[in-house]
Amino acid sequence: MIEFKNVDKHFADLHVLQNINLKVAKGEVVVVCGPSGSGKSTLIRTINGLEPINGGEILVDGQAISKRARPAERQKIGFVFQQFNLYPHLSALQNITLAPRRLGGLSEDKANAEGLDLLAQVGLVEKSRHYPAQLSGGQQQRVAIARALAMKPRILLFDEPTSALDPEMIGEVLSVMKSLAHGGITMMVVTHEMGFAREVSDRVLFIDQGRILETATPQAFFKHPVHPRARQFLQQLQSPLHLAEESA
Amino acid sequence: MIHYHFDWSAVLSGAPLHWIVSGLWVTFNLTIWSGVLATLLALLLLGMRLSAYRGLRWISACYVTLFRNTPLAVQLLFWYFGGLQCLPGSWRDWLNTSHQLGGVHFPSTEVLVGVWALTLFSAAFLSEEMRAGVRAVSNGQFDAAHSQGFSHWQSLRWIVLPQALRYAWQPLIGQYLSLMKNSPLTMSIAVTELLYQTNQIESFNLHAIEAYAVATLLYLLLGLLLSLALQQLGKGMFVSGDLHVK
Repeated sequence: MIEFKNVDKHFADLHVLQNINLKVAKGEVVVVCGPSGSGKSTLIRTINGLEPINGGEILVDGQAISKRARPAERQKIGFVFQQFNLYPHLSALQNITLAPRRLGGLSEDKANAEGLDLLAQVGLVEKSRHYPAQLSGGQQQRVAIARALAMKPRILLFDEPTSALDPEMIGEVLSVMKSLAHGGITMMVVTHEMGFAREVSDRVLFIDQGRILETATPQAFFKHPVHPRARQFLQQLQSPLHLAEESA
Repeated sequence: MIHYHFDWSAVLSGAPLHWIVSGLWVTFNLTIWSGVLATLLALLLLGMRLSAYRGLRWISACYVTLFRNTPLAVQLLFWYFGGLQCLPGSWRDWLNTSHQLGGVHFPSTEVLVGVWALTLFSAAFLSEEMRAGVRAVSNGQFDAAHSQGFSHWQSLRWIVLPQALRYAWQPLIGQYLSLMKNSPLTMSIAVTELLYQTNQIESFNLHAIEAYAVATLLYLLLGLLLSLALQQLGKGMFVSGDLHVK
């Protein structure tokens, strides 16, 4: 489904992705974790060409993604952003129907019907006429997920989808993601929500300084992380205060 | 001042009134036509400036530099006395004879050159205001649009420009008002707009105070109407509430 072959990516002098080799199977849910600046967001942004790569190749369904993914290639890969990035000048429903109407050639009625179905899927039908500024963070992210689904993608990429949310809103977004995962869509999720990783993912990928240091089932990763950096990272997640005091 | 006799009828009746009305009509047309054409040209310049091709970006940047940093008065005279000379003789002859188009008088050469110069001058300013608006739109909007499969131009058309124009709307209104207030400069190439006609009244009956007072009021009225119309247009285009996401 998704395959990285010796992928390299530089930001000027910074080698953000170093010789990445990875296969994600159809229907698989992969959680990507790692310290900030490790390259995990860049990793998933390369899949739909939001970041062009400098070396190697990325295959989606056996087809190489061009250095700058063509618009048509991107339509089949949904992307959910940390900052939601909803279109603020459009209502929730219009956010979802814009691409199907303008790119998919759907009539307004058909696009609206499908859009309302998607809003129902994320539990927000009654907010269809609301503008992003009138929605809470959690609601905005759920609309963003519905929008990412609008072009019927086979792959959904999530870049820290709950990091910008107040704690009480994280649950509603994770629960939508969980039901999607059970629906069989291929997902790659950059997140620090270890509960989600443990419960929903098929595989956890630990990445640091642009390298994949460990890939394991969530059970194995959380019980017996092999790489010392992974162990340190998990400890930090569990008791950040404790560790900060220790190092001070 | 002591010997000055106010006589408003010296401006508001007979030939002077006719001149004022016809001048106002020319000013109105200069503003509207130049405004519409300058908007189209500004969008083209903006598109070039945001293009992936360096050549197009460079042309647009040079255009803006040239037209923003030279006086409109100089540009007007350049086009009228210089630019027209570059046209083939037969074109100049055609322009200098009067024509009817569907029962309406084809504008005089002076008016055409006036609209031309005001359009080129104002487009440089309008496109820069629009570009500032585009820069105010977050990169995340481009990311979201690209991730959905919109091309660069489609992203601009459907997602970025509607937001950018909204951010830039107030400064843009200011530029359209400037265009209107710049229109009297076309007097220098004998466009018979409002100020030209006012001068004519002044030399006709020496009632300068009344004439310029009436002209000032008419410009003020035109400015208020233009600004009101653009505010309404903005409200119509941007129906939703606050742009800023919580």
